Amino acid sequence: MSFSGFSSAKTKYNLFSKLIFGLLMTAFSISVFGQNSNCACFVKGIVRDKHSSQPVVGATVLIIGQNSGVFTDEKGRYELRNLCPGTYTLECRIVGYNSFRQTLDLTSGHIEDFSLQEQEIHLKDVEITAHRSQEPSSQPLSTISGNELENTRGRSLAESLKGLPGVTSLQTGSSISKPVIHGLHSNRVLIMNNGVRQEGQQWGSEHAPEIDPFIATRLSVVKGAAGVRYGSDAIGGVILVEPEELPFDKPLSSELNTVGFSNGRQGVLSGTVQGGIKMLKGFGWRAQGTIKKSGNIRTPDYYLDNTGTNEKNFSLAAGYRNKGFGIDLFYSRFDTKIGIFSGSHIGSVTDLLNVIRNGEPFIKSGFSYAIARPNQNVTHDLIKAETHYHFQNGNKLQWTAARQINNRNEYDLHRSRNDSIAALNHPELTFKLSTLTNDVVWDHKPIAGKLAGQVGVSTLYQYNLMSGRPLIPNFNQFNVGIFWMERYVRNSWELEAGVRYDYRKLKTYRIVSKEKLADDFNFKNFSGTLGATKNFSGRLSARLNVGTAWRAPNVSELFSDGVHHGAAAYEKGDASLQPETAINTIGSVKYAGERLTFEVGGYYNFISDYIYLKPQPEPILTIRGSFPYFKYTQTDATFKGVDVSASWKFVKTTTFSSKLSYLQAYDRRNDNYLVMIPANRIDNQLKYDLPDFGNWHQTYISAGNLFVARQKRVPPESDFAPPPKAYSIWTVQAGSSIRLSNKHQLETGITVQNLFNTAYRDYLNRFRYYADEMGRNISVRFKYSFGA
Amino acid sequence: MKINQKLTLALLLFTALTFTQCKDAGEDVEPDDENELITTVTLKFAEKGTTTVNSFSYKDTDGDGGNAPVQFDAILLKPNTAYTLTVEMKDESKTPAEDVTEEIQEKAEEHLLIYTPAPATLLTYTYGDKDANNFNIGLKGEALTGAAGTGVLKVQLRHQPGTKNGSAAPGSDDVNLDFTLTIK
Repeated sequence: MSFSGFSSAKTKYNLFSKLIFGLLMTAFSISVFGQNSNCACFVKGIVRDKHSSQPVVGATVLIIGQNSGVFTDEKGRYELRNLCPGTYTLECRIVGYNSFRQTLDLTSGHIEDFSLQEQEIHLKDVEITAHRSQEPSSQPLSTISGNELENTRGRSLAESLKGLPGVTSLQTGSSISKPVIHGLHSNRVLIMNNGVRQEGQQWGSEHAPEIDPFIATRLSVVKGAAGVRYGSDAIGGVILVEPEELPFDKPLSSELNTVGFSNGRQGVLSGTVQGGIKMLKGFGWRAQGTIKKSGNIRTPDYYLDNTGTNEKNFSLAAGYRNKGFGIDLFYSRFDTKIGIFSGSHIGSVTDLLNVIRNGEPFIKSGFSYAIARPNQNVTHDLIKAETHYHFQNGNKLQWTAARQINNRNEYDLHRSRNDSIAALNHPELTFKLSTLTNDVVWDHKPIAGKLAGQVGVSTLYQYNLMSGRPLIPNFNQFNVGIFWMERYVRNSWELEAGVRYDYRKLKTYRIVSKEKLADDFNFKNFSGTLGATKNFSGRLSARLNVGTAWRAPNVSELFSDGVHHGAAAYEKGDASLQPETAINTIGSVKYAGERLTFEVGGYYNFISDYIYLKPQPEPILTIRGSFPYFKYTQTDATFKGVDVSASWKFVKTTTFSSKLSYLQAYDRRNDNYLVMIPANRIDNQLKYDLPDFGNWHQTYISAGNLFVARQKRVPPESDFAPPPKAYSIWTVQAGSSIRLSNKHQLETGITVQNLFNTAYRDYLNRFRYYADEMGRNISVRFKYSFGA
Repeated sequence: MKINQKLTLALLLFTALTFTQCKDAGEDVEPDDENELITTVTLKFAEKGTTTVNSFSYKDTDGDGGNAPVQFDAILLKPNTAYTLTVEMKDESKTPAEDVTEEIQEKAEEHLLIYTPAPATLLTYTYGDKDANNFNIGLKGEALTGAAGTGVLKVQLRHQPGTKNGSAAPGSDDVNLDFTLTIK
């Protein structure tokens, strides 16, 4: 590793400042912590492998923003000396591991009281346990954790991720939300829930991910095609939902979260208890549960009838570590009942045109927690066993087996006219999807400390049973993938390459004219990835990745045949569809200074044989009148865009941050735009940090504005109504952390979303035709932690 | 190491038991009928004072999609004539065919039939039946034709569970058909 000197870093700093902030910055000069004659603080510790507990030799430990960095010795030890009191960010990095960052506060406010122990006060013994990384390092990885994640508590997974540049959401009203990465969603975004690929009925736009975000302490998004490491569907990106490592041999600790929202009068309660077992060395366990209840959502002017939700989730985890051996068992259950706005059942095109003309829903209601028809009732069970062994020589073998059972029941607005059938109150649609996944990954030991890699096999076996109104066929599906990835690190360069082969066999069963019909499909694909990362200094780095990913057509694209009553469209599948493949080029530059950080990334995603619903010239005549007719068709599509995020601490207490997402999607074969592409947006925030007051720490207030432009790039005459107008909404936040005692801590926060109760609509909300988005929503949250 | 081996064994057993899937999705495919399906709508115009009944139908026996509708008659009526108009709705995808008219009659408080001629001068419709809440139903009524001309007669069955108030607005369409209407 080479570190550029301080002066050159300063030059670059100024260069970039000028580039971005122009005149604003010219008066700005860098102020580093004043030289203190008392610079006798030091930080030392050991870097260990998180799993094997073996010391990591040759890792770099550096202070971000300083030209000081050291390597760990043969026992994994490091020591950074002669530090002045102040706040530092420590970073540790080595090939084959995730880089680790920790902020240290070496300015104890009580120095004078403990002057005799000054050395001790100023000494921080930081033991770093490094995680072997799984994500491709040359692809941008955005993470929400810590305070940022706490601020999203109580919201759904997609809503929690919305703060990341390039990530938006596809909504069905306010209660169903799916994550969108760089304009792609559903089967084009893969979710890894605790290391297991989430398998629900992702194809449906009103099928939200069945995951309780309270499980995670880290939510990350890998942007761009990542097919080599993650297999099929990772076309737009991958969402990683990661819980904290189990507390092996740690004392009992617990956490209780409560969140109340004014809109929908929503209440959320989530608790975690975890610890080790005194008598059993190497054990750790955790139990976690969440309950959530919400009633009708209110837009600025009216309530949306039947939009309550009711959720009960829990998870249990236990693990054991002994030397290089480790095993983790995990079980989670997600159980939700979601009311669907009763005005969203569209019988005919006339119905839809009437409500668009009306400007607001015909159905008016007050507040209620009751959930009537239409609604969804979904449960998702995941049971996972992960075991690994670190060989003495540095190799590692990992096996993850997981079974998921996804039960989705959908109740239509209208029951059967036949009273005896109606009385049974059966769901009109039932899907049971059962999935078994196995992943075996072999990490070979770093060769000459420079080349690290992994070889793996992933299998998936899945069956789907459905009953009720015919919608998608039953199917059995088998998938096997093998992959090989290597990462080479030299000086400031990090190079990465990988290949993968996937084979998928699908057998479908359906009823056509009362006859059972079976169809067989075979899909196969090669994927590859090539990437490079260059660290110019401890602060500035650039990365470039070219990756491919694929996705086989799903059963709804193959066999849909009927009116979609949410969209007032007749949708027909095509059994001759071929898999779509993406080639994604993504590059980014990242600068992390003391006061200024920014990341600028650009991407160009070319998807050949992109599957979409193509409008047909002739409408289809049904008993409910004629419906616009759409057929699943393939084309070549490009998704290109820019994500920018920047934060500038222009005074010690005040930070300005800005996030911009810009995207253009285009249908190459038909020379036209694509439908349902998120509009461009910019999110600005001003945050003021208050000084510590008594035992109140990290107190802040912030104000933010989100501006979303109108989506102008839509195919002409493709929709019942033009895309909604641009909107601008304000959010204010405040929060603090209160240390009650050594072991008890309380964190609190208040957020007001849509401060001015603005009426607006978003293009990616299915209800945009007839209903506004949620009005003002005030939320108050408390997190009480004990132990830890 | 011993405990490792035991654990590994336990894990293998656990895995074998938990993760066995040997279900075949093909075993469970059963034809399931759509509850709400209406395949056939027949308008019966009985000329007052005569025994002549003119029937006009829309028929799509396999429901939406699949095969195109097999029958969609154009309505032909005499000018300035009074007719008694009754409607028959069936689900002919089932054997025997299901009489939907009867079900609508039973659930009259949730349903409303609407007849909209365009141009409006072609025909005047007067409701001849009421539900328990004294709102129109439209299964039976009187149609008075105007002068000769051509246009469209829109027939809608509004499904308005819990929201029926006598107007067309609440609920959604279960039937929405534009019959060609000729008066001559």
